[in-house]
Amino acid sequence: MPPLTRRQMLQAGLGTAALGLLSGCATPGTSNINAAPTIAPAGGKKITLTYWSWLKDLQVVADIWNAANPNVQVKTVWIPGGNQGGYPKLYSALAAGGGPDLAHVEFGVIPSFMMVNGLVDLTRYGAADHSGRYDPTLWNQVSYSGGIYGIPQDSGPMATYYQPNVLAKVGATAPTTWDEWAGVAAELRKANTYMDCFPLAEAGFFTALAAQAGARWFRAEEDGWVINMTDDATMKVARFFDAAIDKDLVQTQYGTYSPGWFASAADGGIASATSASWGDALIEGVSGGAGKWRVAKMPVWDSSGFGSGYLGGSTVSVLANSKHPREALEFAVWLTSSREGIDAEIKNCGIGWSPSPDFIGTTRQQPSDFFSGQNYNEEVFAPAALEQNTDWSWWPSQQQSFNILSDGFRQKASGTTLVDSVASAEEKIIQVFKNSGLSIRKEQA
Amino acid sequence: MTATLPQAPARPARPSRRKGTQILVTGALVVAALYFLAPVYWVVVASTKSTEDLFATNGFAFAANFNLWNNLAQVLSYDGGIFVRWFLNSVLYAGVGALLATYIAAAGGYALAKYKFKGSNLVFGIILGGVLVPGTATALPLFLLFSQMGLANTYWSVLLPSLVSPFGLFLCRIYAQATVDPALIEAARLDGAGEIRIFHTVGLRVLTPALVTVFLFQLVGVWNNYFLPLVMLSDTKLYPITLGLNNWLSQVNRLPEFYQLTTGGVLLSIIPLAIAMVVLQRFWRGGLTEGSVK
Amino acid sequence: MSTTKPLKRRALPQAGQARSSEAPRKSRAQDRAPWLLLAPFLALFLLTFILPIVVAVFSSFTKVTRSGLFGEAGISSNFAGFSNYAQALADGNFVASIGRMLVFGAVQVPLMIALSTVLALLLESASARWPGFFRAAFFLPYGVPGVIATILWSFLYVPGLSPLYDFAELFGLSPDFLGPKTVLWSIANIVTWSYTGYNMLIIIAQLKAIPGEVYEAAKMDGASPLRVAFSIQLPLIQPALVLTTIFSIIGTLQLFAEPQVLQSVSPAIDSQFTPNLSAYTTAFAYNDYNVAAAQAVLIALVAFTLSFAFLAFTNRKTK
Repeated sequence: MPPLTRRQMLQAGLGTAALGLLSGCATPGTSNINAAPTIAPAGGKKITLTYWSWLKDLQVVADIWNAANPNVQVKTVWIPGGNQGGYPKLYSALAAGGGPDLAHVEFGVIPSFMMVNGLVDLTRYGAADHSGRYDPTLWNQVSYSGGIYGIPQDSGPMATYYQPNVLAKVGATAPTTWDEWAGVAAELRKANTYMDCFPLAEAGFFTALAAQAGARWFRAEEDGWVINMTDDATMKVARFFDAAIDKDLVQTQYGTYSPGWFASAADGGIASATSASWGDALIEGVSGGAGKWRVAKMPVWDSSGFGSGYLGGSTVSVLANSKHPREALEFAVWLTSSREGIDAEIKNCGIGWSPSPDFIGTTRQQPSDFFSGQNYNEEVFAPAALEQNTDWSWWPSQQQSFNILSDGFRQKASGTTLVDSVASAEEKIIQVFKNSGLSIRKEQA
Repeated sequence: MTATLPQAPARPARPSRRKGTQILVTGALVVAALYFLAPVYWVVVASTKSTEDLFATNGFAFAANFNLWNNLAQVLSYDGGIFVRWFLNSVLYAGVGALLATYIAAAGGYALAKYKFKGSNLVFGIILGGVLVPGTATALPLFLLFSQMGLANTYWSVLLPSLVSPFGLFLCRIYAQATVDPALIEAARLDGAGEIRIFHTVGLRVLTPALVTVFLFQLVGVWNNYFLPLVMLSDTKLYPITLGLNNWLSQVNRLPEFYQLTTGGVLLSIIPLAIAMVVLQRFWRGGLTEGSVK
Repeated sequence: MSTTKPLKRRALPQAGQARSSEAPRKSRAQDRAPWLLLAPFLALFLLTFILPIVVAVFSSFTKVTRSGLFGEAGISSNFAGFSNYAQALADGNFVASIGRMLVFGAVQVPLMIALSTVLALLLESASARWPGFFRAAFFLPYGVPGVIATILWSFLYVPGLSPLYDFAELFGLSPDFLGPKTVLWSIANIVTWSYTGYNMLIIIAQLKAIPGEVYEAAKMDGASPLRVAFSIQLPLIQPALVLTTIFSIIGTLQLFAEPQVLQSVSPAIDSQFTPNLSAYTTAFAYNDYNVAAAQAVLIALVAFTLSFAFLAFTNRKTK
């Protein structure tokens, strides 16, 4: 195609061709791959699939598959983490009509990739048959408009990592409700210790807690999107942390897992971290922390909320320009739901929580020396993965929405409340939807 | 530093004071040189260290353990020698790009200087406007255009824009106006040479000093370019060295051994250009004078 | 075409018989030659400058409407008027990024040009020793691509890795090169480091063009080196200063590689820190190519305006 286009340009004259280009579809990502006929299997011919991901040592895992599938070889390419440059790379490759067969895409970003017609609807290649292998909450987060747009790869059920000795200073143990949590945090402040951090520059944490409290920010209806970010659950969480920050109960100077946090956690200045299952590897990096940490269920809001939330998590998606979507799907399913694939991904790539309810991974079935001999994965995280807000679903332009939210949160220091920030963020997000040509309305109370 | 500089020339140039002035001026220049060379010195030191030493020892002092060859071997062999490939890509984009760009700009500049024709002022004005358009402002729409043409994420997507140097054409026109003698052209015409041939035999020869400048200007410009390839390329095999090294740097947080690859790679990538700068700066000087005098 | 050519050629001399028979033939070849010589440049210029600008302007006036939840039921492009520009200008982060660059330019550009000028004058003064070595040393950073310069400096900015912190501690200082208040000036340092030598060389070139007689005359008058610098050298190198300043202004508005690379070590740099970063994020993270095009056009307009304003300013001053 390229040489033809160039020759045409020369023949027709640059000007005419330019007009042709302009009046055609000048904006990339405006043709729908899922309306085209499905692509037949390669049928025994040797093919190579590429998988762009920011997981380290993923090729080692792919090589296990490659050894068993000589005709469908998988080559992995490392890209920077999604918002750090991975997604721009994927988007621009898609816009240029290329890109890999498979890509690492977080749950929250799937709708954004759908907006640019970047993902293959996997129901057209039989993905629905595999739904039984995956956690239903996660499956819901890859299902949109009757299609399946990614295969869950990992998730991040939340719990509370805590240092029993630090909490014991004020005679406390891991709190079971957020009210209790606030009480313990206030006591700890008297001992010059923080209970936890609240990241003002990273909206994901707040969002996860709102989801835990039972929020459902977006619903897809026949006539378009319905937004509701100012529901009772969200406002409850916003008010709670407004108060916590005003009373200086949480550390907002640095975020969890930052260098400052590590220093403080090591000398007992931070008592706990409510975070996702993948935080364990990071907590193990706290110097001298072995034997000092345990894991408990995270605090709950009240009867209307859920036992846990999901923080982070990603899928393997098949990108629109893949020549072999059927084989790509097969590999994705093997990688994320076979015992072999899950174990290898845990061992080499350190992925988050297994998306398969049946198998959390061999190493995660053992007690951990670091976490005081606690078998925390089976005890805490496995049940937490079942206590999720199953109604939660993501929406287009999630990254921009998160940036809008955190831009507002950063103003907390100059006096704006989280409650107000959320409300004004909602208005801005409605505008973002309208600007990108989608229809959206505010939930009628 | 800035506090001492203005004082230096303030000394009167009486012979008795000359020595003192010389020491002051040279001292100021030494301080400036330290500033310009310190980061380069740091990377030379860093590339001789192992990852542990990099964090454990003072950055400006060599460590006991000399790890340079090991590091460089790693740089050259990592991922099937991708570094060498990036380097060659840069040579292709910058070298071939600058060479052709110089020729094209010379032809254009010569034409605008040596022929009177209708529209020449308009053409020159528009091209001059091009000098002022920020290159990165055109990169984005160029990407949209190239992706429609199927050219994005190919060698062409970086090479084609590198062939155009409005500033180069501007320099060539000025230089040609000042130096190409119309009598030489007339003489060649009387010998029966065609116009294009005259450009090749007479024009290019006289223009040579300006061509060196334009070539160097474009060479460095393309070699240093980051935004255009970042926007255009998604295949790491097509990356120039700037993009490749940044790709390595972005991995250091999870894999500290990339510090070694990045520092070693930076060192290797600086060497050729550093040599080029030192050797060629005198040529640079010659051409730009004409450019800036107007 | 090849068949019509000879016919025309024969026809022409007849038409202009009154004039010398030589002239028309020559002028025809000479009419064609400049266009032939210009053709490659113009073709490429059209492809890589004019067409992108047309595309940018066109798509900045286009808006995409989607039906269905994700546009899966159809996408159409329509004329948008100035709504993309309104949107770009209503984006506080984008406007802030332009403001940030104006502050940056107002401080960094004069500082850098002043430093370049001082270094050039010192190197050209008879008092400097080893001028060749110094000139090469100052110019060397120009050969280091902005990305690599930033990687280099980022190593010197990161606590734990950088010896600069050890140095500062000796003086009882605890700098933070990557904090929200300081990181802009850390970037300014990288830019200054990269381009001072280059600007210096342009100025030196101009200094060398000053005829020797001018200096002789000044010497006869017994002018001090400082006087020579202020009343002879500075006025005469003004064209070079204008040139380097304009290039620096354009360069400031294009700032991209430095903040983008430093992002990985400094959380203070957000995804819309500079206008270009903003346009890049809008295009490739938010996938709004039309607003990104509007931003690109606005960046170019600001660059034009500033360049011309500066030119007008210096022209008035010289008159």
